Amino acid sequence: MVDLATKSLLHDKLRFVITVSGVAFAVTLVFVQVGLFMGLLDNASVTIDHISADLWVTSRNTPNVDFAHTFPETSVQRVRSVPGVARADNLIVWFMTVNLPSGAQEGTLVYALDDFRRWNIPWNVESGDLDDLKRGQYFFLDGSAVKRYGAFAPGEYREILGQRMKIIGRTKNALSFTTTPISFMDFERAQKLSSQQLSNRTTYVLVKLAPGADAAAVKAEIARRLPYNDVYTRKEWATRSRNYWVQSTGIGLNMYITVFLGCLVGIVVVAQTLYTSTMEHIKEFGTVKAIGGGNLDIYRILGKQAAIAAVAGFLLGALMSYAMRPVIAKIDLKLIITPQFAAIVFVGSIVMCLGAAMISFKKVASIDPALVFRG
Amino acid sequence: MKVLEADNIRKEFREGRGEAVPVLNGVSLALSRGEILALEGPSGSGKTTLLSILGCILTPSSGRVVVDGEEIDSARPGRLPAIRRKSIGFVFQQFNLFPSLTALENVEYALNVKGAKGAGARMEAERVLDAVGLSDRKGYLPRDLSGGQKQRVAVARALAGNSPILLADEPTANLDSHIGVQILEMFRALAKKEDRALLIVTHDPKVRAICDRVLQIRDGLITADGLAA
Repeated sequence: MVDLATKSLLHDKLRFVITVSGVAFAVTLVFVQVGLFMGLLDNASVTIDHISADLWVTSRNTPNVDFAHTFPETSVQRVRSVPGVARADNLIVWFMTVNLPSGAQEGTLVYALDDFRRWNIPWNVESGDLDDLKRGQYFFLDGSAVKRYGAFAPGEYREILGQRMKIIGRTKNALSFTTTPISFMDFERAQKLSSQQLSNRTTYVLVKLAPGADAAAVKAEIARRLPYNDVYTRKEWATRSRNYWVQSTGIGLNMYITVFLGCLVGIVVVAQTLYTSTMEHIKEFGTVKAIGGGNLDIYRILGKQAAIAAVAGFLLGALMSYAMRPVIAKIDLKLIITPQFAAIVFVGSIVMCLGAAMISFKKVASIDPALVFRG
Repeated sequence: MKVLEADNIRKEFREGRGEAVPVLNGVSLALSRGEILALEGPSGSGKTTLLSILGCILTPSSGRVVVDGEEIDSARPGRLPAIRRKSIGFVFQQFNLFPSLTALENVEYALNVKGAKGAGARMEAERVLDAVGLSDRKGYLPRDLSGGQKQRVAVARALAGNSPILLADEPTANLDSHIGVQILEMFRALAKKEDRALLIVTHDPKVRAICDRVLQIRDGLITADGLAA
């Protein structure tokens, strides 16, 4: 079977390149915009995803993990008494001010726990022993702080809320959505540092369920016993934390608009090139009709050309996006492209190109085969 | 055996204000297998409109057309492509080859449209290209062929698939006279050999020399119907 669609498409190489570039542009834009967005959102819940808690108890209406509010630390006792709870511990997540050697002030998001190992946080320790945190005015600092604080090394000191604290360890990949560097210290140390707000207070209670416990039932019982708190499963809390940034800031809307514009540009480029190509090949399509072909034969040709442009454009766009990942990683941003996301973009590319070909379909339907007799 | 019959064909086109402009005013003709017919007439006489109706591209405003035993029903224009596929082969003045396909592919594609696929279509395309003397040009794109060679490919495309009716629109108009005659003679020989009916619309007086019969059309009416001189 002679493949007129492919041969005709590849015959005009420049037009083919333009069409594919249009699709690749749209695909790259969607991959990069959504990938970066997903990378940012991943930061918004990265600690929740890694902490091995099944349930999180928060103060009422806490919008996301970074913006914590306090409640009495004794609440943890009531949680521990709920059947089905294997373990419950207080966690403080609190913003504190750091004085740098340069005299500048910066912020740090402190995660404070009594036993870090039990809750799998920090999950990527480059240096230091977490058990040493209890031994004095010590803290671990994530490597991402270099960008904000400048170079640092374990053994050095920084002032946190006016207290001289020694860096005794370094972690990796513990990021916050706001890019505020995360540090880790002992629970009581954090309460003492910010005693006015944190004395006898906590910001979260982490809950580990007993094997076989019904998460929904335990969650409901905790909520009943702590009527002024909220209780979330890990997934719910991660979603809530991410949704806060999507819904309460402009970045979600910005992402949607950019994706929409990227798709629009792709559709316009593909539609325009396919339509121009259709017009230039109108006599050929007339010939197809004259030799016995119907509109369906020509729709197949245009549809196949659109699909080829979609696949080639998708592959080029995906390649360019993957090639950008190391560059983006160098500026401490994550470009997340999951297989599911790639599959959605692939299907979207096909739909976009077929949609763009519809304009040409309309033109083809009106072709008068008698035009083949015109000079 | 009659393979194409037209009886009292009339055709009007509507102009901008809806005024009816008559182009054919009651044309009748018949064409048998193995017969070569020339249709001559000045510009605007209705030749191309008649060719379009006989080729099932247009339907007549009134009158009766029977193509290869099937009467054309103006109320069912959707049936026309199927009749074209089964019964008609076209040769165009401008050749109308697909520029991205080789000579062989141009012929094979027409066969694909007619329903022939695979090795059978490839062999038939090769056979007709051999028949028109293009055995050594099968892999060439139209841009690499001369005008005469392009028209040979167009003739091969029309011959492919055993359509009983061959319709040619000014097939020599874009060729120099020597090549034009060669192609006409070849076309005639192949049509005769394969028992096809051939109707050639032309201005070219040399065409009548290869035809069995000549029709003169003027102002949408057949004014003369006789044996070629």
